[in-house]
Amino acid sequence: MVSASEPPELPEPEVEYRRPAWVEPPADIIPGVVPVELILARTPQRAIGLSGIRAYPVGFACTLHLRLREDIPGEQSNFGAFNMFGDGVDPAGEFADYYLRFGVGFADGRKATNLDHRRDLDEIPAPDPPTLWLVRWEGYDRLAWEVDVWVWGLPPPGPLAFVCEWPARDIPETRAEIDAGLVLAAASRAVPIWPDQDPR
Amino acid sequence: MSFFELPGLRPPIEPRMPVWSRGPAGMVPGVVPVALLVARTDTHAVLVDGLLAYPTGFDFDLAVRRRPGRPRQHRHREPFRGVDLHLEVGFADGRTAGNHPRHWPRPSGNQLPDPPLLYQSTSGPDGGHVWLWGLPPPGPLTFSCEWPAEQVPPSQAVLDAGLVLAAAARAQTLWPTKASA
Repeated sequence: MVSASEPPELPEPEVEYRRPAWVEPPADIIPGVVPVELILARTPQRAIGLSGIRAYPVGFACTLHLRLREDIPGEQSNFGAFNMFGDGVDPAGEFADYYLRFGVGFADGRKATNLDHRRDLDEIPAPDPPTLWLVRWEGYDRLAWEVDVWVWGLPPPGPLAFVCEWPARDIPETRAEIDAGLVLAAASRAVPIWPDQDPR
Repeated sequence: MSFFELPGLRPPIEPRMPVWSRGPAGMVPGVVPVALLVARTDTHAVLVDGLLAYPTGFDFDLAVRRRPGRPRQHRHREPFRGVDLHLEVGFADGRTAGNHPRHWPRPSGNQLPDPPLLYQSTSGPDGGHVWLWGLPPPGPLTFSCEWPAEQVPPSQAVLDAGLVLAAAARAQTLWPTKASA
């Protein structure tokens, strides 16, 4: 029983949950931007572009542009965008060819792709970088999807490769490379939003 | 004859989004190489991030950042109403566009609204995605915001519109027609 003289019990302040660094870009950093604009693959009906690398001290984000030239009756699974990074399609199973593959390759041979083992957020220990994670997707008009990707881990100096493949739609393994130094330089231009904040 | 008869293919669906609400689907945009800090308090920040430009306008993320490790107030459990975070974009010639409902166009047949027009396609606790129809003239391009519910006072950041215009000029057409090739 609560005495009338006792103050009412107040709820504890709710401290914001911080997701692991390999899941999303840091919330307290303004990224440096690399004006990269690539067409990774283009067929008569479909194209995959990549733009806007946002670099942070611990990794980088970029945007994939998935495009159809026109509405195609019976087109499977919304350009495959829902298949990326999801659990809905087994990339080695019956629908393997419909799985739109995307990944990055570092000069030292390390790579991260959307075929990598999907991890739980509370996995301990954290995976080794690089990892690749979907952070936003938005589509419109059955013609266009924008997919933001987060790559945890900065590349070493040398070529940085972006690779895609979509067997079901005649897009063979295709790669485009940029100088990783552009990403590293942009990461060094990233600044903290709250400079007095303790580093993560 | 097979038991299973394939249905006839349905006819293609014409694009349904108004031309002023999205970038051209047949292009890869140019990148504006800047992320802007528009507002910052001790607990919140508002960024304009992911600026991508097309010949008809530009889009970006209106990104809400919460200072890590700070307690959240319990009123945050209330449903987020994106329009609480007011955004306005101002051109050098005095024209403005914003995400307040008073800025939204009133449909009138096939008549296109006058640019600039700001269309926020998504809203959530982390901000939203914004398309601004209409390219700015050269000069300062001003992003202003205010968020009374989170005690974010009127704040602004200015960008050289030339960066947007240069990026728009770099946007790539994916399937050029004979007329444009």
